[in-house]
Amino acid sequence: MVDLLGRLAVAESVTLCHRVVDGLCGREPPHREDYSTVWSLEEWVELLHSLTAIFRLAALNNSSDEEVLAELSGLGSSHTENVLKVLRAREEEIRRALLDITNFISSAMLQDFDWQLKLALSSDKISSLHIPLLSLSLDLREDGALRSVAMEMNRDELNALISSLEAANKVVLQLK
Amino acid sequence: EISTLAKLSSVKMKLLCAQVLKDLLGEGIDYDKVAKLTADAKFESGDVKASVAVLGFILSSAAKHDVDSESLSSELQQLGLPKEHTTALCKSYEDKHSALQDKLKETSLRLGRLEAVSWRVDYTLSSSELREVNEPVIQLKLQAQGAESGSTETTVVSVSADKFRVLLTELKQAQAMMNAL
Repeated sequence: MVDLLGRLAVAESVTLCHRVVDGLCGREPPHREDYSTVWSLEEWVELLHSLTAIFRLAALNNSSDEEVLAELSGLGSSHTENVLKVLRAREEEIRRALLDITNFISSAMLQDFDWQLKLALSSDKISSLHIPLLSLSLDLREDGALRSVAMEMNRDELNALISSLEAANKVVLQLK
Repeated sequence: EISTLAKLSSVKMKLLCAQVLKDLLGEGIDYDKVAKLTADAKFESGDVKASVAVLGFILSSAAKHDVDSESLSSELQQLGLPKEHTTALCKSYEDKHSALQDKLKETSLRLGRLEAVSWRVDYTLSSSELREVNEPVIQLKLQAQGAESGSTETTVVSVSADKFRVLLTELKQAQAMMNAL
């Protein structure tokens, strides 16, 4: 239950809330060792769960202040206010994180990409080749694992790729 | 092999060159025609094979190193090929010089050649994680040539709208650089 948070001083509870949000956004979550004197293991797990659930649901439902405050009943007013402040400050970040999770559902997601422009000089077939080539490497995140895919294209193939992506981009821009 | 080639008439030699060039350009060689062309000179099958192979070697090596037809002509005459034969061969070479080089460029080693791109734009409305999503997602299918010849590797990936914009912008930068080369 969230009223367990009342055992911490207000400033410390704000820090803890921020770290819970960090964990929710895929960064480092708070460590139990830091708080082992305040809560027992069971209490710690329970508190962490309920805090995460509150932040998550608030972002999911775009909850109003009143709705969030209702969830936090039982906690002192200064604590409640600060939890709400943390939520409002980081709402957009939580939304982004949940959006990423949404995009990961049932498909590989583009995490990062790198490219390299090269000039092929010579080959076993012809001594003077002089063809520019673009290597594109895509890092895909699939079920939590990263997979890299590489491909290579010459001028015509790159033009084809760009005009294809342009067409898709046009549709995306219309949506906004 | 040069002396074998010299047994042909220069006209037949020119026609034989045309067949070998067709082979090199990937259009396929007509072996019946080759047999007819070489029948007059009483070639045995070994001679036919040798002359086709030597012509193929001369023509592809010349194109590989971008030799002009005059240099090729003087080299061949020094090897003992008669003047008319040399002229016939060099004329054929000159005509197909750039086509041959294009073919060699095209067949040079390529890794993961991008073959086909398909896309679809989705608009995510809602999900179990987030009630109101309202964000576009781009689904891309990229088909690239695999490491083994004839195989293709298909990659299906979703790209968020932000990342997609960055990808497109960077690819355009690369394109501009490539065009400036």
